[in-house]
Amino acid sequence: MALDWWTLGLQTLNVLVLIWLLSRFLLKPIAAIIAERQQAASRLLDDAATAKDEARQIRDAAEQARAEADRQRAAALHKAEHDADLARRQRLQEAGAEIERRHQQAQEALDAEQQMLQTAIEARAGQLALAIADKLMQRLPASARVEGFIDGLVEGLETLPAETRQTLSHPGVSLLLKVPRSLTDAEHGACSAALQRALGHPLKLEVSVDSGLIAGLELETEHAAVRNSLRADLARLETEMTLNDLQRP
Amino acid sequence: MNESPLLTPTLFHAGPVPISGAVVVTWLLVAVITTASWALTRHLSLRPGKAQCVLELFVETLDNQIRDTMQVQPEPYRALIGTLFLYILAANWSSLVPGIEPPTARLETDIVLAMIVLLASIGYGVATRGVRGYLRTFAEPSWVMIPLNLVEQLTRTFSLIVRLFGNVMSGVFVLGITLSLAGLLVPIPFMALDLLTGAIQAYIFSVLAMVFLGAAVEAHPTPKTLENKEP
Repeated sequence: MALDWWTLGLQTLNVLVLIWLLSRFLLKPIAAIIAERQQAASRLLDDAATAKDEARQIRDAAEQARAEADRQRAAALHKAEHDADLARRQRLQEAGAEIERRHQQAQEALDAEQQMLQTAIEARAGQLALAIADKLMQRLPASARVEGFIDGLVEGLETLPAETRQTLSHPGVSLLLKVPRSLTDAEHGACSAALQRALGHPLKLEVSVDSGLIAGLELETEHAAVRNSLRADLARLETEMTLNDLQRP
Repeated sequence: MNESPLLTPTLFHAGPVPISGAVVVTWLLVAVITTASWALTRHLSLRPGKAQCVLELFVETLDNQIRDTMQVQPEPYRALIGTLFLYILAANWSSLVPGIEPPTARLETDIVLAMIVLLASIGYGVATRGVRGYLRTFAEPSWVMIPLNLVEQLTRTFSLIVRLFGNVMSGVFVLGITLSLAGLLVPIPFMALDLLTGAIQAYIFSVLAMVFLGAAVEAHPTPKTLENKEP
């Protein structure tokens, strides 16, 4: 056995060179690309983690925004319901007031219409009463339309206050006597005599025909009037009936 | 292979330097391995092809083996261990090429490989522990063990040489004897067995080299080592 020292040395050199060559051309490049891939994967994982965090943050923000929107929506809905309730109450109140007002207007209109109708009915009734009275008086003697009312006229004068009667007693006071038709001389004389007796002095009497009286006599001066005719009686009846209607509940 | 395996015949002379067949085959292997490495690593990308996947698998496996065996980061030892494995594997399998005798069937090549492992263990041990620290390892667990530890350094190196040399040389001899006795097809099973033996011997040599290097740097973990041991 003999070692070849040249071979020993050359093989040593060869192996060392091979170690360097493989390190340079095989092992280091492969290790570098593995490390680079690991770094890339790590970066990808980091990016993915970052993206995941960002997505989670965005999701949280979106959830917060949605919760806020829900809260605002609920608040708006509550406010709208409250406003709608207020508006409904106000509308109902206004409608009630309007109904009440219109009801009152209708009632007033109805009352006015009834009043007008009542007035018209009463006026018509008065006219009917006048017509009836006129018809009835036409069946009586013509003298009854005057003579029958002379005493009543005198009684009316006597019911006047003393001061009023005293003013009528002054000489020169002109009295207006309304009659339903033209008086005959006898009737004129009877009237004058009855009035002179009642007043106690001669008087100046002016006669005026007013067919609306139907029957009766009416005496008018500047300060007083004495109504003693069917028209005045009917007017008093109408007034009393109206007062009775107003006093009726 | 008719001559003595303990003799190294000279193939030719380069001036005064005798060039043996083992040296020439080693040159060829270096050229082929380097060219293939250069060609395969020219276009590395983050989206690897099949060849790049195989290379990355090899490097990953090598790194994991170094981590598991030596309990250290693999970068400082990757080139030495990877080269030992690839060279021994290529050298052992070169016997399949007709007319080529594997360099590892020659004692000088195995001595060179084992001595490189010995010197590397000393170098890495000194670099890791310092001269005094490395020398102190020979007195562990007691100074009485110093002679035994010194002898162990030599015997394990010698065992590396003899194991590789004996297995490869015997395989070459068996194949030669079979070829001389039988026809062309008979040696095929022996050639397949030689492939398996060559791969196993390359793996065993590399693992033993890692064990020796690991023993030299053992119990003196670097920060990277600690980092690597963390889950």
